Amino acid sequence: MIWMAAVAVAVVSGLFSLIVSILLIANYVQVQAITPLDNPELLKLRQQLAATPDADANLVTQIRAMDLLTRKAFFTSQAHLKMGGYLLLGGVAALLAAWRTAARCKTRLPQPDVAPPRGSYWMSRARAGELVGFAGALWVVTALVAAFFTRLDFPGTGVSAPADSTQVAQAESAAAYPSWEVMQQNWPSFRGPGGYGVAHYTTAPMKWDAGTGKNIKWKTEAPLPGANSPVVWDNRLFLSGATESAREVFCFDTESGQLLWRRALDKLPGTPDKPPKVGDETGYAAPSMIAHGDCVCAIFANGDLVSYDFEGNLRWAKNLGVPDNHYGHSSSLLAYQNLLFVQYDQNKNGKLLALDLADGHEVWAINRQKISWASPICVNTSFGLELVVNSEKNVDAYDPLTGQPVWQLACLDGEVAPSPAFGGGMFFVANDNAIATAIRFGANEQTPKPEIAWQWDEALPDVSSPLGTGQHFYVATSRGQIVCLDSITGKVAWGQDYDNGFYASPVLVGDRIYAVDRRGTTYVFKTGPVYELIATSRLAEDVFATPAFMDGRIYVRTEKHLFCIANSNEP
Amino acid sequence: MKSRYFAAAALLLFVLAYEAKAQFRFPMPEFESGYKHPEMNTPLPARIPAAVDITVLFVALAVTAWAVLKSRSRSMVFLIAIFSLLYFGFYRKGCVCPVGSLQNVVNAIIDRSFGVPIIVMAFFLLPLVFAVYFGRVFCAAVCPLGAIQEMCAISPIQLSRPVEITLGLLPYAYLGLTVLSLATGTGFLICRYDPFIGFFRQGASFNMFLTGGVLLLMGIFVARPYCRFLCPYGVLLRWASLFSKWHASITPAECIQCRLCESSCPYGAIVVPTPDDRSVDRRTGARRLGLLLLLTPVIVGTTAWTGMTAHKLVARLHPTVRLAERVAAEEQGRFAETTIDTDAFHAGKQMPAELYADANAIKQQFKYASAWFGAFMGLVICGKLIRLSVIRKSSDYEADRGACLSCARCFAYCPVVGPISQSDLRQECLDKHAQS
Repeated sequence: MIWMAAVAVAVVSGLFSLIVSILLIANYVQVQAITPLDNPELLKLRQQLAATPDADANLVTQIRAMDLLTRKAFFTSQAHLKMGGYLLLGGVAALLAAWRTAARCKTRLPQPDVAPPRGSYWMSRARAGELVGFAGALWVVTALVAAFFTRLDFPGTGVSAPADSTQVAQAESAAAYPSWEVMQQNWPSFRGPGGYGVAHYTTAPMKWDAGTGKNIKWKTEAPLPGANSPVVWDNRLFLSGATESAREVFCFDTESGQLLWRRALDKLPGTPDKPPKVGDETGYAAPSMIAHGDCVCAIFANGDLVSYDFEGNLRWAKNLGVPDNHYGHSSSLLAYQNLLFVQYDQNKNGKLLALDLADGHEVWAINRQKISWASPICVNTSFGLELVVNSEKNVDAYDPLTGQPVWQLACLDGEVAPSPAFGGGMFFVANDNAIATAIRFGANEQTPKPEIAWQWDEALPDVSSPLGTGQHFYVATSRGQIVCLDSITGKVAWGQDYDNGFYASPVLVGDRIYAVDRRGTTYVFKTGPVYELIATSRLAEDVFATPAFMDGRIYVRTEKHLFCIANSNEP
Repeated sequence: MKSRYFAAAALLLFVLAYEAKAQFRFPMPEFESGYKHPEMNTPLPARIPAAVDITVLFVALAVTAWAVLKSRSRSMVFLIAIFSLLYFGFYRKGCVCPVGSLQNVVNAIIDRSFGVPIIVMAFFLLPLVFAVYFGRVFCAAVCPLGAIQEMCAISPIQLSRPVEITLGLLPYAYLGLTVLSLATGTGFLICRYDPFIGFFRQGASFNMFLTGGVLLLMGIFVARPYCRFLCPYGVLLRWASLFSKWHASITPAECIQCRLCESSCPYGAIVVPTPDDRSVDRRTGARRLGLLLLLTPVIVGTTAWTGMTAHKLVARLHPTVRLAERVAAEEQGRFAETTIDTDAFHAGKQMPAELYADANAIKQQFKYASAWFGAFMGLVICGKLIRLSVIRKSSDYEADRGACLSCARCFAYCPVVGPISQSDLRQECLDKHAQS
């Protein structure tokens, strides 16, 4: 009777436990799959709210209600899991108790023989010895086989380089690229050759006036808006412009300012129908182009990247994917040898790309973890050529030909738009609301080991990039300050307040520095530990772009025009 | 007897009635909207004073020792196991447990800057001290991990002796890995992979629940699989119990060699009398033993080298190494998506290069630690083989002092005393024995 009852209880509680277990597993799988705050309807409402300039009170209430509902649903599910756990515990306890009782009722006493089988004792010992030996051998073999197939893939353990030797060979074999000397004689990219703000020619005019036309060689309209800076190669000047619906590249004759050609970019595979959201100051054409030998390249806020020859013929075009960038993509392009560098930093899945200028194919790519709005620079250091880029967190240096990381230093913070400066073998990076850092390297080291030389936390830029001259680093801020810092000690040599802030980056021209403020006033001052203003010139138009400096000429893009400034005695 | 149950129940009720009063660590913000904060339910850091836990452990060990050695009551042992499961398991959430305390002690030995709290030291030492005097009474009924398995061991079968001995290598491997992980800063493996803690706390990863569930299901037929084939603390208890002053004996009187107890132990912890029909003569046995002793350094050297060779595999236990691998893979574009770990890493100030340097240093540590681990396993294997080669004469059925969990199951099977002694079976056995 007891046995029957125990078996009945065991069967019922066993079935109950089984059902609860299955339900618990199903519930667990469901809860795992749900991320309450990613509810599609909720996300849709949030997007609607984000798109509404003035918050709609009804929408806000609806979002709150939906948010509460999804959270409640999630936690109710969690509570069900917990309750199910208790039920299962109770069910299993009843099952075990009943099963144990039933087993006890049917206990059968052992009926052993008087003596164990002959030889079984020794046989058992021998088998045990063999099995232990076999287990040991199996362990050794398994461990060795597993060790053979185990690779710990991180640098220092034979990790593969981003670009292999074949790619390097390909890069080096493509010898049809302009030399560094030729690049120096042009203004091929944002902030000039290498992108660190040093002009090759020292003959730029020092004084001009847009009102009287003094030293204004020509002035022409910029057909479309764009925050990018002009780039110049020989007698051609290039810039890009874009709106929500149009993306164009323009080529001007540097002698006359005449628009030689303009090319509108058609929709490419991957180009989104709807343009991404960008900040008002960033716009759709913030990155500067590159001009390099016989080609120009431009990139736009939607990820469209295009290359033309100097006659305006399309060489190649591709969409890199819409950048996940809340202000809009603004990193300028840079070229060296046959490679086009695209700093495609984003909130997620950011990359630093090296594309072949000939056809746009990827030569190497580095995954980047942090977003930035800064541009790459390419400099020749005592350790060799380095491609240096800023991000929200750190400064990274790469071998430009292979993409191999060279050094890295975490010294940045916040939303970084200023690009690195280089001078006297040191790098200098700065960002507003963070800190500026001078980076030096051990003199006798075989490989570059960056270390912080000094830091500075006042008067920091948030758009304009700093400038290095060797003895000093210069910082021009959006609040209208220019500070000169001793590159060795970090001490302030001088600081000067101006009426307007600076977005354009200062440029070193011989022993002079040109800094254009947001209202179009250019301050020319001498390099050195003592502030010596040489000239102040006005264009009376807002300027965001950094001017291009060529032999005896300055090309300035204002908000609506393009100016060529040259000494009036020039023919 | 009833008074004992009452005392135990009263103690449990006292502990359960100890109500925790919550307190704020930080002042709560005040809202102008009229929002009311939900009731605070964070418990105090320590709801039960350490002395109470230590006392309960001591009393439970003492009562178990008494139940095994004096009272020889399986029911009593089982009741204490239920109490331990409820108190140390479900109420105290399985922490501190002596099994895990092993890690704290080893950690403090390796790195002197780590201290061991008194409660942890007490939980580590008390079961060992009791094992030295009374055998593995902690395993019998006080360990919550053992107790939960004991509840499930309803129809246990006996594994063959060779399988039992071979699987007995695993706890040594787990112990070695535990020490290795502490020496390399990998963490507390035993706690991380405790299969039953999820049941006690009603919360764990699905995999841990699954592992625990499978072990308990298996435990219905293969009793206490974790205790026998995994528990690293069990290794220490086994060593301590070998020297136990008073150990549970199957029969308190003279063994009549009826063989009734032979199949009673689901843990294979009964030493049977050594038969005289040796299959190998003494000289051959001695030669084999000599060869084994000579080969021991070679075997240990081989296993040490194997451990060193496999260090990359073992290094993956370390979270930094795993993170470095993942970060590198993401940088190389082998994974498009980031993980919560890599997101956290990138949000911090450490550079990937620094992470790789750390991971490489840890990998180097693993090289030597794995070699030691391999050597240890080599020694264990050789020790087992040597032990199997040395014949120690036994004339009666008796408990294997190392392996016996003092669960008191076998007592009932002895016809000399116990329930069977009251039946006709006793006489039947005695008759059979007399005839043989």
